Amino acid sequence: MIRSFIRFLRGYVRIRVQGFSPERFLNMCSYHDIYVWGLFPAGSGYEMYLSTADFKKLKPLAKKTHTRISLTERRGFPFFLFRYRKRKLFFFGLLLCIILLKIYSLFIWDIHFEGNEKWTDETLAEYLRSTGVEPFMPKSRVDCPDIVKNIREEYNDIVWVSASVDGSRLKIQVKENEDTLLDTDDPEKGEEDAGSIDKAADTIPDGQHPTDLIASADGVITSIVTRSGVPQVHAGDQVQKGDILVLGRVDVVNDSGEVTGYQYQKSDADIFADTSLEYSNSIDRTYQQKVYDDREKKQLYVKIGDYSVSAGSAANDYEHSELSVKEWQIKAGENFYLPVLLGIRTAKSYTFQEKSYTDEEIRQILSADFFQFCKDLEEKGIQILGNSVKINLYADSAAAKGTLYLNERITETADTEILTIERKETDESVGTDD
Amino acid sequence: MEKGQLKERLASAASMPKDVVMKAAVVTAIGNFEVCIENYRGITEYTECLVRVQAKGGQIRISGKRLQVEYYTNDEMKITGRIENIEFADRGNKE
Repeated sequence: MIRSFIRFLRGYVRIRVQGFSPERFLNMCSYHDIYVWGLFPAGSGYEMYLSTADFKKLKPLAKKTHTRISLTERRGFPFFLFRYRKRKLFFFGLLLCIILLKIYSLFIWDIHFEGNEKWTDETLAEYLRSTGVEPFMPKSRVDCPDIVKNIREEYNDIVWVSASVDGSRLKIQVKENEDTLLDTDDPEKGEEDAGSIDKAADTIPDGQHPTDLIASADGVITSIVTRSGVPQVHAGDQVQKGDILVLGRVDVVNDSGEVTGYQYQKSDADIFADTSLEYSNSIDRTYQQKVYDDREKKQLYVKIGDYSVSAGSAANDYEHSELSVKEWQIKAGENFYLPVLLGIRTAKSYTFQEKSYTDEEIRQILSADFFQFCKDLEEKGIQILGNSVKINLYADSAAAKGTLYLNERITETADTEILTIERKETDESVGTDD
Repeated sequence: MEKGQLKERLASAASMPKDVVMKAAVVTAIGNFEVCIENYRGITEYTECLVRVQAKGGQIRISGKRLQVEYYTNDEMKITGRIENIEFADRGNKE
């Protein structure tokens, strides 16, 4: 393949060798290292291909072997150019092509991101645009170290960035810190807890305001695991909505058991309780169904910047109509959107038809709704222990009603009440005791 | 002949490639559509149905249909087409 391409580029000829002993001529050729291919007998001699450079060496050989050589065909790029030498525009086009190729290769045409999961391509591209890095910028203006520095400064959870120019594409590889995706709590909590012990009583840790955990619903506590704060309830306790479950204020007591101050902290606990939830859902037996007739109008349009050209019209005088728009933005490469939009606007005519559900249908709809509701709850991590939901059918409607028994996390944060102690009194009393 | 036999024995004893020591022709056939010949001296005849190649030990005749010499250099040639016979003729009975 490559060999034949090189042959084409250099040009080759087809010759016919005739005479007393063309075989001898062939052997002479191979002796003089002349590469011959596509040899086949023709008439009383042979025809073969050889390169133009070798063709020039043939004269002495032909003389020696008493053969006559005639050129039958010229092939290859040099001959092609020679044949079309009078076509000025062709050469102009070729030159223009080379020049344009060179000019286009001076710009960045595409930005490619790799390794990003949390930050989407669009977000990163938007940020880069704000720093002046965007498609169609000159390649010479791309400052890779600067891009890397900017991204590192802007995004704390991107731990590694590499920017490189790959042809006319800017390739940005990032590595996100996956730990931060999981750990949404403040990471300094542990340290602050440790620090608060050393601090004098009645202090509130810096940059953190103390919170209690209160019940978000009525229920019976089934399990409680406290990580910080003082638990106020036990498993098995009945709680009302708004009851304090974990207190963010820890009493500091002296040797005689008197409260001398308070330490405040952010309460943190996993508390689960059995709760119940009323469920009701009803639908009418009659409903209006959209029935499309075959009437529709389409409008095709091309939008370039603020200007748009359209064919057809979606304007209509239908009683009820549905208008849908589909648009495609043309882009070059992955992230270089051109300001050209293609779109179709369709207006569909429809009428309403009154219909009513049968018993079976209405039952199916209600139970499907209920299952969807349960699924949503389970997705939130709520365990469903049981339910007493029943479907009742009436003359013109149907309803599903009942209670769901759940086991769920019932914590809700609330600010801790800050208490003050008149310290002088306690100091004096301590003093008198001594 | 004596010399040739001696050379052949030497080559087998020293397990040397015979095509190098004895300058014997190497004929490689792939199916019945392609033959490669190395270590030859030259073509003596070439038509569509017969190619005669002169080698050191004698002549190699390849007959078939639509034979074509794909390429022809100083040390190797390739013949394609429908090959029916490959014959080795001694130097004595030249045609």
